[in-house]
Amino acid sequence: MQMQANEHIGEAAELYAAGQLDAAEIAAIEAHASACEACLRRLGEAEETVLALERVNKPLAPPAATNVLPFARRQISPWWLLPAMAAALLVGMLWPRAQPQHNVAMLAMVNGHFSHAQFAGTGPKAKVLYARDRSWYYVIVAGTGRYDVYGVAGDNRASLGSTNAAGSTSELFVKNKERFDHLELRDGSGAMETATIR
Amino acid sequence: MVTAFASRTARSVSVRDVSLEDAFARREADAYEGAYRSFGPRMYSTALRLLRDAEAARECVHDVFLHLWRRQNAYAAQRGSLEAFLVTCARNAALTQLRTFSRGRAAIGKFPAEVAYEMEEDPIERERVARALRQLTSDQSDVVQRAYYRGMTLSEVAADLTIPIGTVKGRLSTALRALRASLIPGNADAG
Repeated sequence: MQMQANEHIGEAAELYAAGQLDAAEIAAIEAHASACEACLRRLGEAEETVLALERVNKPLAPPAATNVLPFARRQISPWWLLPAMAAALLVGMLWPRAQPQHNVAMLAMVNGHFSHAQFAGTGPKAKVLYARDRSWYYVIVAGTGRYDVYGVAGDNRASLGSTNAAGSTSELFVKNKERFDHLELRDGSGAMETATIR
Repeated sequence: MVTAFASRTARSVSVRDVSLEDAFARREADAYEGAYRSFGPRMYSTALRLLRDAEAARECVHDVFLHLWRRQNAYAAQRGSLEAFLVTCARNAALTQLRTFSRGRAAIGKFPAEVAYEMEEDPIERERVARALRQLTSDQSDVVQRAYYRGMTLSEVAADLTIPIGTVKGRLSTALRALRASLIPGNADAG
């Protein structure tokens, strides 16, 4: 279907609503409809047809109630978007295959708003992703070594557990409401890394 | 907040929440979450009918919201109801998944038209739609069953029915307008 920008949508509205157009055709239609209210309404009518046909289906609650926008809440300033996407990208690179803890962590990330911090020190490359409300911490360490993770708040140090090998990385996902100043990563050789939680 | 447009028929069209629609058009996060709560279940069931996979359907719904969130002017209230817009988006996203992945491609061929009715809950809606479908000509019905319910592409339908693709387009478009006239009386074809 070749469509010019000044051409009304016509029967293409139904093809659009039925998912039968390619990306270029969709772009042409949307560009036209954005400047032509009659055609915009025409698209809406075709979409009402789809809705009428789909009303026969029982509305089902998606498995797991989730926030629809992982990053977008008005109280979160826009600077948050890039770090969040970078963190998600990092997780994607570190976990080419889904692992059980990875699934839990990904669900936590989808459900909430998270930040991340890099571990610095003498150990391997490592990162912690954590919920902004501190409801969970997710430690990812390059390599398959086992590391003990501690949360430090002032003079208090709490053991959060140990990482477990998962593919080419080692991970620990822990639910914890405490607001730690930083996390520590230790192994048997005495190597230690610290990540500051802001 | 404000309940506005009453339904055009007793059953098939939802009451519209203008304040939600306007806030959604302004891309307010709360409106997105409100839309998810209100329309997510139907979007999910729509995607699930095509994908037959709960996780894939859930991701599909989320992808729709994220995609719209990142786009300027994706929706305007003048277009029509937000529910219709979102359900259509979910269905099209599910179709894209089906067509993109080979396992989906394989599933399309196996997807029987009858499945469209297996998930129905409301017998009145089912009968309304079934009655509207029966009013189509057999040529139109053949195209609707393949292109709409089975998710086949126009070229696949054309090959399956050995008719030109232009004919498929025309029959599908005409059939969907006829269905609209049957299902949403008073809102007959706008031409």
